[in-house]
Amino acid sequence: MTAGRAGRPGLVGRVGLGALGVGLTAYGAWLLVSREADLLDAAAWLVGGAVLHDAVLVPAVLLLGLVASRWLPWPARAPAAVGLVVLGSVTLLAVPVLGRFGAREDNPTLLDRDYTAGWLVLAGLVAVAVVVGTIVRTRRDRRARRDRRVGVGSNTCSG
Amino acid sequence: MRAPAPADFTSRLHGPALAARVGPALGVCFAVCFVTGLLSHYAQQPSQPVPFPTSPAWGYRFTQGLHVVTGTVAVPLLLVKLWTVYPRLFHRPPRGLGRLLVTALERLSVLVLVASAVFMLATGLANSAQWYPWSFSFRTTHYAVAWVAVGSLVLHVAVKLAVVRAELGRPLEHEERASVLSRRGLLRTTWLAAGVAALATAGSAVPWLRDVSVLGVRSGDGPQDLPVNKSAVAAGVTATATAPDWALTVRHGDRSARLTREDLLALEQRTEELPIACVEGWSASGTWTGVRVRDLLDLVDAPRGSEVVVRSLQESGPYRTTVLQAGFAEDDRTLVALALDGEPLALDHGFPARLIAPNRPGVLQTKWLDRLEVAT
Repeated sequence: MTAGRAGRPGLVGRVGLGALGVGLTAYGAWLLVSREADLLDAAAWLVGGAVLHDAVLVPAVLLLGLVASRWLPWPARAPAAVGLVVLGSVTLLAVPVLGRFGAREDNPTLLDRDYTAGWLVLAGLVAVAVVVGTIVRTRRDRRARRDRRVGVGSNTCSG
Repeated sequence: MRAPAPADFTSRLHGPALAARVGPALGVCFAVCFVTGLLSHYAQQPSQPVPFPTSPAWGYRFTQGLHVVTGTVAVPLLLVKLWTVYPRLFHRPPRGLGRLLVTALERLSVLVLVASAVFMLATGLANSAQWYPWSFSFRTTHYAVAWVAVGSLVLHVAVKLAVVRAELGRPLEHEERASVLSRRGLLRTTWLAAGVAALATAGSAVPWLRDVSVLGVRSGDGPQDLPVNKSAVAAGVTATATAPDWALTVRHGDRSARLTREDLLALEQRTEELPIACVEGWSASGTWTGVRVRDLLDLVDAPRGSEVVVRSLQESGPYRTTVLQAGFAEDDRTLVALALDGEPLALDHGFPARLIAPNRPGVLQTKWLDRLEVAT
């Protein structure tokens, strides 16, 4: 009961916060419906993003994880997962520049880097980090196993 | 084959422990994007009941650079956050109409949040690279959906506050079982990915990061060491801007003056160091020389505190005509610039004359000036 009473003001605050959230959302929806001429296209992009994420991106990463769990040796898995999160997310956010979709012949100052080369450098750095991480883990695991063996042996000697 | 259930996702990287830690960081990113976005939206309004400040000159450069960098950093955060809660997508609906209704409402609110969050980041990133693979108006829709995203985020915080508190009150790793990547490991990886995302792109706004930002939209190079947002060719002004009979018209009621480039160069020249800062997030500083707008307004006896309608030579486009609010028109640093870095303006930078004012979005720094008209 005391917990309930203590939680009361918190609950009131949360309900208020929730109502504010609903209000802001409704205002945004009204802005969209009243000002945007091409609602169908906007709706397609709204739904499309969520569907692409839930039905394509995440299943693809899950599948990749499944493949990695079959093929990658244990010490390489964590470094590979780290590499995937870093390189995967940065690659995704760089799609507009990697594809150079907005490039214009009349404006050489826009999208004026060699993005493929830049991405390759980034991917190379990530790959080196994954390999180094794997070597470090392999050595650490080996040492841990040896120490355990030595530890067990000395125990039998002394006891 | 049956549909997956939440219990099928055995990795401990799913679940509230990580969601409660990545979520708040993502919430801060969205709040920063929202506030800086509102500011940018207001700065572009022709009518401003509260005058937009003219100082600091680098204010808009800072807030809009922050807007785009924060949105970029939010991409890895959002991906990891959604990963941690992904199994919830497969929760079976509960029995009983009341519970079903509550669950349906909650899931609808989460759908709205996810859809609007992904939409904001995807459209923002595409816009920053000037890629428009849609037919809706970017500014209108990005602005409207921002309210939807922040509203559904506030609602989500209200619903999940207790869960977040409970999770933050216990250690991150509370199981003994080994896993490929620990929770702490994924959390550190998330911060690392966010940092790499920032470093790889922020150079478009932060000059000293230019060499590191291999995925930045602009290297910072350009004619007179300044990038260009819209070229003279794209604006269709190549002929009119180089015409020998070009002159700037300054008008106030029935008083008007026509000034050729030579006339303008004969007036007192002032030099100001002011940034060009675009809504797309890139920015660069330039040293501009030209005539103070206030000096030109004095030629036609425009009263103090006048608003000025600025027109470009370009034939079409939403920024052909812009409003220079009184605060900017009165500011001593606001120039009709004729030169950049001591050289006559390049055609792509607005030759024969352009407007440059402190603390303004780049789209309002009108190039290829045709006339300044005092609003009466």
